Amino acid sequence: MQKPPLLSRRDLLKVGSGMGFGCLLPAGMTSASTLQTQAHVVILGGGASGIAMASRLTRRLRGGKITLVEPRETHHYQPGWTMVASGVWNAGKTMRPNADFMPRGVNWVRENAVSVDADNKRIGLASGSTIEYDFLIVATGIQLNYGLIDGMSPELIGQHGIGSVYASIEGASRTNQTIESWLASGQGKGIFTAAPTPVKCAGAPLKMTFTTLSRLEESSRRERFAVEYMAPGTDLFSQPWVDEFVKQRFDEQGVKRRHHYRLSAIDPQAKQAEFAFVGPESEFTSHHELREAEFKRDNLQTVITDYDFIHVVPPMSAHDFIKNSALVAQDGPFRGEWLDVDIHTMQHNRYPDVFGIGDVIGAPINKTAASVKAQAPVVEENLLSVMQGNLPSARHTGYTSCPMITGIGKAMLVEFGYADDFAFMPSFPFIDPKDESWVTWVMKDRMLQPAYYAVLEGQA
Amino acid sequence: MTISGIFTILMYALAPFTWLLVVGSIVVISLHLLAYLRGYQITQHRSRYATILAILIGLSAVAWVPWLTHSTLANVATLFDWVALTAGIVAIFIISLVILHPLSYLISLLREG
Ligand SMILES: Cc1cc2nc3c(=O)[nH]c(=O)nc-3n(C[C@H](O)[C@H](O)[C@H](O)COP(=O)(O)OP(=O)(O)OC[C@H]3O[C@@H](n4cnc5c(N)ncnc54)[C@H](O)[C@@H]3O)c2cc1C
Repeated sequence: MQKPPLLSRRDLLKVGSGMGFGCLLPAGMTSASTLQTQAHVVILGGGASGIAMASRLTRRLRGGKITLVEPRETHHYQPGWTMVASGVWNAGKTMRPNADFMPRGVNWVRENAVSVDADNKRIGLASGSTIEYDFLIVATGIQLNYGLIDGMSPELIGQHGIGSVYASIEGASRTNQTIESWLASGQGKGIFTAAPTPVKCAGAPLKMTFTTLSRLEESSRRERFAVEYMAPGTDLFSQPWVDEFVKQRFDEQGVKRRHHYRLSAIDPQAKQAEFAFVGPESEFTSHHELREAEFKRDNLQTVITDYDFIHVVPPMSAHDFIKNSALVAQDGPFRGEWLDVDIHTMQHNRYPDVFGIGDVIGAPINKTAASVKAQAPVVEENLLSVMQGNLPSARHTGYTSCPMITGIGKAMLVEFGYADDFAFMPSFPFIDPKDESWVTWVMKDRMLQPAYYAVLEGQA
Repeated sequence: MTISGIFTILMYALAPFTWLLVVGSIVVISLHLLAYLRGYQITQHRSRYATILAILIGLSAVAWVPWLTHSTLANVATLFDWVALTAGIVAIFIISLVILHPLSYLISLLREG
């Protein structure tokens, strides 16, 4: 792949003036050093990765300007939504004002970005105004494309037996109410779906299935409920050992697995779902080819099935304004859908003054807050290197983590990265990623939210 | 992870329990102060009942600590789970003893007087 060029002389002049005072040490020794600069760094998105980057850069840059574009006043701890939808947490626990985390000195623009003109280094805002940048960090997360499922919209969540943990915190609460109503009805068929695209927290659809199974088993009327899992590919999870484990566990718990089906349409009034057969070549990782072929309606082989409860996982992509910009991947598996970055350095593959972090990037795995934790120091180091005219040298390993909840009260601490076919990368020698454990559950229930907030503060 | 990172995580983790920590500290300090002013000495006073009760409260944690974490004892499965739960039991035993020991002294004074 072609390497992006180093920066222009004009860019370097902006940082050059202060280098005698705040010259950076090589990566790994740089954590305390600062860089004097007059550069304007713009961060798009103030979710997990945007705020983490703002916190880190305010500590490292002196004299420059940092602008963060984020319309939301409330910060959502999204990893808590599975706990809300499973009836374990109440919704309020997952929300805090964004202002609590916004570092002092950051210029917070409270509106949506609507365009990126990467050649002229300009961001268009919803109000019609523009912002010019010297360096850009794209951290806008994911767009949920419920509209690609005919008849489906997020407003339907909580009605007609429809649940979906992804839509919002309200959606997660309503998903819990829908599951409760289904359980109270004492019988029926529940269908859990997965999306034919990369999704944030790829474990979440599986966790929702496992926690619902826990509730069904507790009800002592398990045999009156049918549970099906509809997967678009042969895999249920990208990490091979976990994939096998989940398949085996589903079989043991009486979950009927059907592979190569994606949810193509829903009829809420009739409580019917249409699934399109997407063929054995369908895999999460080759989703682009899959989507082109698959979202066409001609020659679609479909099956229609009744349900009493359905958990909908929408197809996901980068936001439209990123897809419509030059920043989107032009070729390869992420083309047209995701931000085009080097998955190790996090630098844009064609625009060296642009970095990506978090869910928005085109990467085979990594759409988790745990990945944000690992990516943020890499983006920080590499941005500062590039600001000084050096090549980015810090590398992201692809680290991602999913506390795979296998039932209410137990979980597996699944941590893995890009290397060796997504081999495990355990953080704690005393926790085996292959074990279901109470301690891992306690981490999910009690410790990961504090750790997430520490990431926002640039402390972890 | 840096020390300040660990500190930040602990601050967020303990924040919801601040009231409990404050109330608990006030209770413990008041009890000790009250007992101390009436001649209590931690090494001198012996109370079999306080020790037995503290052990029972500690052991009872086997049932209610997993429940407090939205789980059950059935999910305590790995060696590390048991190490963590045992540490919890020991901690609860110590906290109980720290409360019950001066309390038993004050009760014995009341009985005598
Ligand atoms: C149900 C669920 C369960 C999850 N479970 C886990 C888990 O167990 N472990 C884990 O590590 N991760 C989990 N995650 C994933 C984790 O929440 C995300 O990976 C993480 O939030 C990604 O951070 P981000 O900054 O890339 O995106 P986000 O946190 O989504 O932030 C993106 C931000 O960009 C803003 N934005 C969007 N469009 C624009 C625009 N046009 N202009 C300006 N701003 C814009 C949004 O308002 C948002 O604040 C889960 C997610 C969900 C939904």
